[in-house]
Amino acid sequence: MAILDIKHVSKFFGGLAANSDVSFSMEQGMIMGLIGPNGAGKTTLFNCITGYYPPSKGEVTFKGTRLNGLQPDQVCRLGMVRTWQKVRPLAKLSVVDNVMVGALARTSSLKIARELAMEQLKVVRMDHKPDFLAGGLPIGERKKLEVARALATKPELLLLDEVMGGLNPAESEEIIQLILELKKRGLTQMVIEHDMKAIMRISDRIVVLNSGEKLAEGGPREIADNPDVIAAYLGERVE
Amino acid sequence: MDRRPLLSRAPRGFSVLGLVLFVAAIAALAVFPSFVKKPYVLHMGVVLFLAVIQGQAWNVVGGYAGQYSVGHAAFFGIGAYVTMMLLEVNKIAPWVGIWAAIAAAVLVSLVIGSITFRLRGPYFVLASISVAEIIRLATLHFKEFTRGAEGFLVSEIPTLKIGATEIEFFTKRPFYFAALGLAVLTIIANWIVQHSKLGYYFQAIREDQDAAHSLGINPAFYKNVALAISAAFTAAAGGFYAMFVKFIDPNTVFGLDISVQFVLICIIGGIGTILGPVIGAMVLVPLSEILRNPKGLVQLGIVSSDSGFVRFVEANLSNAHMLVYGILVVVVILFAPEGVLGVIRRLASRVRRRASSRGRTEPAATA
Repeated sequence: MAILDIKHVSKFFGGLAANSDVSFSMEQGMIMGLIGPNGAGKTTLFNCITGYYPPSKGEVTFKGTRLNGLQPDQVCRLGMVRTWQKVRPLAKLSVVDNVMVGALARTSSLKIARELAMEQLKVVRMDHKPDFLAGGLPIGERKKLEVARALATKPELLLLDEVMGGLNPAESEEIIQLILELKKRGLTQMVIEHDMKAIMRISDRIVVLNSGEKLAEGGPREIADNPDVIAAYLGERVE
Repeated sequence: MDRRPLLSRAPRGFSVLGLVLFVAAIAALAVFPSFVKKPYVLHMGVVLFLAVIQGQAWNVVGGYAGQYSVGHAAFFGIGAYVTMMLLEVNKIAPWVGIWAAIAAAVLVSLVIGSITFRLRGPYFVLASISVAEIIRLATLHFKEFTRGAEGFLVSEIPTLKIGATEIEFFTKRPFYFAALGLAVLTIIANWIVQHSKLGYYFQAIREDQDAAHSLGINPAFYKNVALAISAAFTAAAGGFYAMFVKFIDPNTVFGLDISVQFVLICIIGGIGTILGPVIGAMVLVPLSEILRNPKGLVQLGIVSSDSGFVRFVEANLSNAHMLVYGILVVVVILFAPEGVLGVIRRLASRVRRRASSRGRTEPAATA
């Protein structure tokens, strides 16, 4: 059974269709890449899936539960969590406190939450500075903090919204290794990314959005060779 | 503006030094009336403790959860009116009636919260002001029930019997100890809230409501919890205030200036900290008392009765205390956005840094 099933999802803002009739599904343990030009509706789709917007039409099913009408916090407790393209650190809280807020979704004990949080900080290799203020971190570490905080909620499906955006090549490589490591542990992931080389390396399948519609879906090779995708987005063949 | 304090300044967990200082301060304040017996001084002590309770109460929803309510007079007034009316109309002792007052305020807070928390930022502030004003005007209007602008006067507070001891609320002394006890309780409750899952959730909502929402936090629910806790302590302060000053009317307990006072105590002291409201109260209460009643300084023997300062304040400032508050707030927001406590901490960390850099250079010099 698919872990996530998106059926005919549309989202209208007034007359503008930010998503129209998008359908695809994800299997347990896979990494789905979500690509498309700016304004294609990638983040809107994330918002529809995670409960920030109710879809105007269509439905989203996660682990057999229909999500329409559920709030983001309920979606999180069901086991699906997202990160933000524009990072949202809890600036006046320390690094470990940020991650603890995530962990508290699964426990009420601060002690257990702290242990959980330190575990996740180790996963993203940030366990050396738990007491720094989140607001003072450089962008690369803020991105990793977002991932750690999301992981602390014990998700089965992690949605990453441009987690490599604004990072230098070394930092991006670290994130790629992290995503692959998480996959090895069995975590299902959906990844929005603009770095084509990265997305081709990590994705099992890729969905291409363009002007709110699904333009193509397939394996990385298939997508790279798809003439529609090349015309709408890639501009040249990706090796 | 952000000086980027890289290390978190709020080390969580238990500080032995903090606990020792806290207990020492309580002990000192508890024996204080044995040495100083002037009713005026004890009176000011009660006013100060009340301000601490008000600040701590507001801090839960305003400081930790980041919802700047400027309508706390609603809960303060409900606390005052319910306690007062139960005493005067139903002859129920205030230490019983105050629980009903707290329950009433919590109920009202849930209603107010579920309406106003749909709004964010300045819109929430405006809504909170208007709710308190609605309650004030309603209290003025429904005269048969509330006696309107006439208000209530305490005729007699019954004698409290605890075992064999009987406590009569005639002098300032019993009020002093009751207010101190209530303030200590409020501070402890605030500490427990801050060091719990609730405290984390409140702060997450304050820092970024959408991020908090994605991490499994229901912002509407937790904001309501914060407001209910805050309303409970605010109502207790209101009920106590009514018994202490012995007269209330809608304007003195539901007025906008009461709501503003809650916020001021925290802004001046330092928002979102345990110590902030204590410091804020220690600044604001003496200041407002000197402005309103400069002769008090004479009574205390601090200045002589023909002091030029007293004459100047009386002539020029005693009707302008709100103006002085206003200027104070502008100065604090401009130069010390984290309040007096923020200034103290910044100075302390500067001293510490200087000390540690000295410590680092010394061994190098000997080598």
